[in-house]
Amino acid sequence: MIYKRERISRRMGRISFTGLLVFLLLYSLPLEIVAEETKGSREMPSVMVLNPAAELWRDVRQREGGNIGISQVRGVDSGVLINANGDRWRKFRMEQLIPIGGSILVGVFVLLGIFYMVRGKVPIEGGQSDRKLFRYSTYERMIHWFVASIFLFLAITGLILLFGRPVLIPLMGKEAFSVLASACKEGHNLMGPLFLVAVVLIFVRFVRRNIYQKGDLSWLLRGGGIIGNKHVPSNFFNMGEKSMFWLLILVGSLIIASGLVLVFPLFGQGREWMELAHVAHALGALLMIVVIMGHIYIGSVGMEGALEGMTTGYCDLNWAKEHHDHWATEVVERGEDVSNEAVERLRRNEPPSSVQLHLQEHGK
Amino acid sequence: MIGEFIDGPLWNFALTVFVIGVIWRIGSILLSGVRNDLAEPKGSAGSGAFRALFSRFVPERTVTKRGKLQLIAGYAFHLGLFALLFFAQPHIDFFAQRITGFSWPAMPYWAFIVSAELAFAGLIFLWLYRLLNPVTRLLSDLDDHVGSILVFLVMLSGCLALAQSFEVLRLLHLLLAELLLIYFPFSKLMHAFTFVMSRGYTGATMGRKGVNA
Repeated sequence: MIYKRERISRRMGRISFTGLLVFLLLYSLPLEIVAEETKGSREMPSVMVLNPAAELWRDVRQREGGNIGISQVRGVDSGVLINANGDRWRKFRMEQLIPIGGSILVGVFVLLGIFYMVRGKVPIEGGQSDRKLFRYSTYERMIHWFVASIFLFLAITGLILLFGRPVLIPLMGKEAFSVLASACKEGHNLMGPLFLVAVVLIFVRFVRRNIYQKGDLSWLLRGGGIIGNKHVPSNFFNMGEKSMFWLLILVGSLIIASGLVLVFPLFGQGREWMELAHVAHALGALLMIVVIMGHIYIGSVGMEGALEGMTTGYCDLNWAKEHHDHWATEVVERGEDVSNEAVERLRRNEPPSSVQLHLQEHGK
Repeated sequence: MIGEFIDGPLWNFALTVFVIGVIWRIGSILLSGVRNDLAEPKGSAGSGAFRALFSRFVPERTVTKRGKLQLIAGYAFHLGLFALLFFAQPHIDFFAQRITGFSWPAMPYWAFIVSAELAFAGLIFLWLYRLLNPVTRLLSDLDDHVGSILVFLVMLSGCLALAQSFEVLRLLHLLLAELLLIYFPFSKLMHAFTFVMSRGYTGATMGRKGVNA
């Protein structure tokens, strides 16, 4: 009886074990297949699953441009969330305009210093004469100094705005610079339109005398006489002065137009126009500053007698003969040269002889 | 500390000097009296004074011809400055808060900018003319230049503080305005008030004589 029970028990155990094995086999078989499939899938090309967020951000980024959205906000570019060109402009400003522009300005300043050390102040070879020629009227000198003062103010404030971050923040700190930058920005914007007035006045008054004429090219080919020791004859204005005049008019117009685009965003100009205007404004202004540095150099320390015409209105006869020979000859032939004494009296704030005489008579 | 001083005691001091100084100067002119004219009047002194006061705003033809630039620059500067002083929003707010207790309509922003441009251009031109023309240079003394420079600096500091974002810039503008107020009664800037008496006196004298001048 016991033997029979043992046999039944062993049989049940064998069945149970076999069932367990079958179960394990059946259970493990699909896992193995899935594992094999997974191994195989690593070697197969991936299945593209579209991410709606990626599409959204691609549209927002607008690398290709032209994909402008709709916004409740009314205004130019209000449908553009991210202006991809802005990054390009920022990189140009930070990585090219500021370092290269700054290097050019410093380089020109150093070059002028070296030139001065080598060449020195160009003297009037014949020395100061006892005769003067009338060169600029009061009105002409007024508009010259008007454009000069406005240009200098705009140049200084503009350079502070352009180079302030790398140059001035390390020296004065962010807080002080923020005050200075705000002041410069407001001053620059307010004085800017006056430069337009100044350039128009300069153009109207001086255009006739700045039209290129015979002899100008030979002046240019001979380096204007500043290189070497020979003076080159020229007219009322030489080729260099005429070129500076046209540069002021043309580049000045570019600076003014781009400045107006930047200051008055009232004409529907978008960010891209503003970026373009900023680049044109900065490049034009840097070019003009470099040219004006040369102009100031000649007028101040570079050449004897060059500034006199713009301060008193009269220039020395010998200076005129050396630098503006054709014009000087014409004026002398017309008998319009005046004595040095009469002009010196004006310079010393003394009344001219006729006024003095009149005052004396009145006193009696 | 300095800001509180500029905003408080210095402002009160400058305003007091300005008011007392102007009253004193005008009073001294009025109290100096006029010479007794015993001649029989041939016209009305009052109407002559009134006519001269306003007719002098229109310049003589010869002046218009010879001094066109000074005329335009003069009007541009004075009108621009007047508009800025009394019709710029920040100034109206300041007057209402510190002096009058009430405000009045301000000019729009574009008019403010135009006024500032006119005032700056006019002042720079007039000062350059003063420096460069031999006659005006001869006639000008230190007072003329100090007055011009102070007015220019007040205008410039005002335009630099236009953003109204920095207290330092407002205080700088106020400090310069206070210096101008203190300087004003002792200088030729008094012509802002005395032109009325000057024209009135001339007009009355001529009117009494029956001269249309």
